[in-house]
Amino acid sequence: MLKGNEMNHQGKYKLSRIAALVLGSLSLANVANAADTSQAQPAAQAQQPAQGQDSKLRRSRETSFPQIASGPWNGPKLADGQPDIGGVWSNTISNHGNFEDPQGRGGIGAGQTLGKREERAPSRVSDPVDGHVPFQPWAAEKVKEFRVGFQNPTYPGHVEPNARCAPGGVPKSLYWHGYDIQQYPGYVLFVFDNGTRIIHLDEKKPHLPDNIKLWNGDSRGHWEGNTLVVDVANHNGKALFGRSGEFISENGHIQERYIFSQDGKRYNYVAVLTDPTVYTRPFTVTIPARKWTDADESDGWNLEARWAKTSSKERILEHDERICYENNGGFGLGASGASAKK
Amino acid sequence: MNHHLFNRISHGLGIAALLAAALSVSFPASAEEKIPRLPNGKPDFSGIWQTTSAADYDLEPHSNRKDAPPGPGVVEGNTIPYLPQALEQKKKNFENRATDDPALKGWTLGVPRTVYYPEPFQIFERAQDVTIVPQFGHSVRSIYTNNTQHPDDPNDWWLGDSRGHWEGDTLVVDVRHFNDKTWLDHAGNFHSDALHVVERWKFLDANTLEYTATLDDPKVYSRPWNISVILYRHREKNFQLIEDYRYTLDFDQYYPPRRDQNQDKN
Repeated sequence: MLKGNEMNHQGKYKLSRIAALVLGSLSLANVANAADTSQAQPAAQAQQPAQGQDSKLRRSRETSFPQIASGPWNGPKLADGQPDIGGVWSNTISNHGNFEDPQGRGGIGAGQTLGKREERAPSRVSDPVDGHVPFQPWAAEKVKEFRVGFQNPTYPGHVEPNARCAPGGVPKSLYWHGYDIQQYPGYVLFVFDNGTRIIHLDEKKPHLPDNIKLWNGDSRGHWEGNTLVVDVANHNGKALFGRSGEFISENGHIQERYIFSQDGKRYNYVAVLTDPTVYTRPFTVTIPARKWTDADESDGWNLEARWAKTSSKERILEHDERICYENNGGFGLGASGASAKK
Repeated sequence: MNHHLFNRISHGLGIAALLAAALSVSFPASAEEKIPRLPNGKPDFSGIWQTTSAADYDLEPHSNRKDAPPGPGVVEGNTIPYLPQALEQKKKNFENRATDDPALKGWTLGVPRTVYYPEPFQIFERAQDVTIVPQFGHSVRSIYTNNTQHPDDPNDWWLGDSRGHWEGDTLVVDVRHFNDKTWLDHAGNFHSDALHVVERWKFLDANTLEYTATLDDPKVYSRPWNISVILYRHREKNFQLIEDYRYTLDFDQYYPPRRDQNQDKN
């Protein structure tokens, strides 16, 4: 049997819409704020503006969160020995608007901030203690350029790629919409609204060849008690960390620890990001997460599920298909309504 | 003829021979004893699967073309029973396939095309659902096997709404509530938003699945019709899906930021 890449017949077709795409993106990037918060939903829903949703607890807003120690797992286990932690999860702080000040400007909605800096949730950068990504000077300059360009784009790279329905990548997928974690013998599956991560629990399986670069990288993991330890290689470096423009390159490497609380209701994501071509030193990202259950009500963001139709009285959460690109006119422009349901 | 195309055509001939063999041989039921099963006893389709058929080039029998190897077709009775007006649309689609095939834009392949598109897909199975992750694209499909029903307030979905149940060792899936934006193959075979698909998935042996589907669409076809393809398990050492978000190739060149040539080295 031939391998997939040998059988693939699509590669020869060169897409020729690049020019149109660039123009479309530039002219409409200013609505990216609205579009981005609504993508991956059916277009009819996607046209609803994001404004005014916060009053409905659209986003979680913890200003602090508990530390969780790595250690043994005493909770329920699956038949294959994995801690049973599957379900709907989301971050507890804020969306991807602002990486280092998640509840600061841009972090929780246009023009809104929560209190003084010390009253808001800490930076997602937990080391160094100043909360800033230790960028090399050239890279810091690029982040500044992006922040200017994001407001008034003059170059296609000023559009946040997630607004084009690109996968959120690592680590940003963890602080966008809520997501599903599913577990299978040999795998942990993360199903995000944009993109899917397959964590291979067989560490003897080598990473893909280094020249293969992927939005979500290539993940190998194992469980250490309550902690899922994942090594991520093969990044393409294209997914930004947020609308604030922080980034890693294709030379980057990420070592993740998902540390689950014993009651199974929370985990803290603690990851070390290394990239000698972009950073002056490795640094640590910490993202708190909570689990949602059948007892929770959908908030349309962290928990987007609906109830399944069933003849029993059981409440069963279901999620709509996760389609972004096709429903958003190809450019992540949900607000344009280009492909609204007939 | 370039070397690449030659390879694909000779590959297609191999497919023809394989399919012919598959259709003429009845598989022994004794193989069922050795199939993988979940703890609840249901067949476990977990694994990475792919067809060797030429179905995605054209579901119907076809001679070789510049953009396709020949194929014997996978349609029972050979011909899709289009209504007259729909047949005209199919012919237009065929003429414009080099630009209009949604797959060329990296769009969701839909059901059943994901199953026989020439890239692998991975099945993850639990008692309550079967999750299908295609290598091509991003459209994870959930088949619910937890006795839930189609929703009362459906949308028109790219993948439809899939509710499955077991008939012996066969997974039978009822799929409804589609949109009309996907094609069934590269030859422009199509459907409307009235498409209704009933799939049957079963093991022929531990490493081979038989997939059949009945497609009904009163707006497009004069009667229901059937397709059948064989899926093979990828058993290459360390084989895995490699994400293929094809639609991102239009813009991925702009990321990540690059160090300027004249920017100060520090």
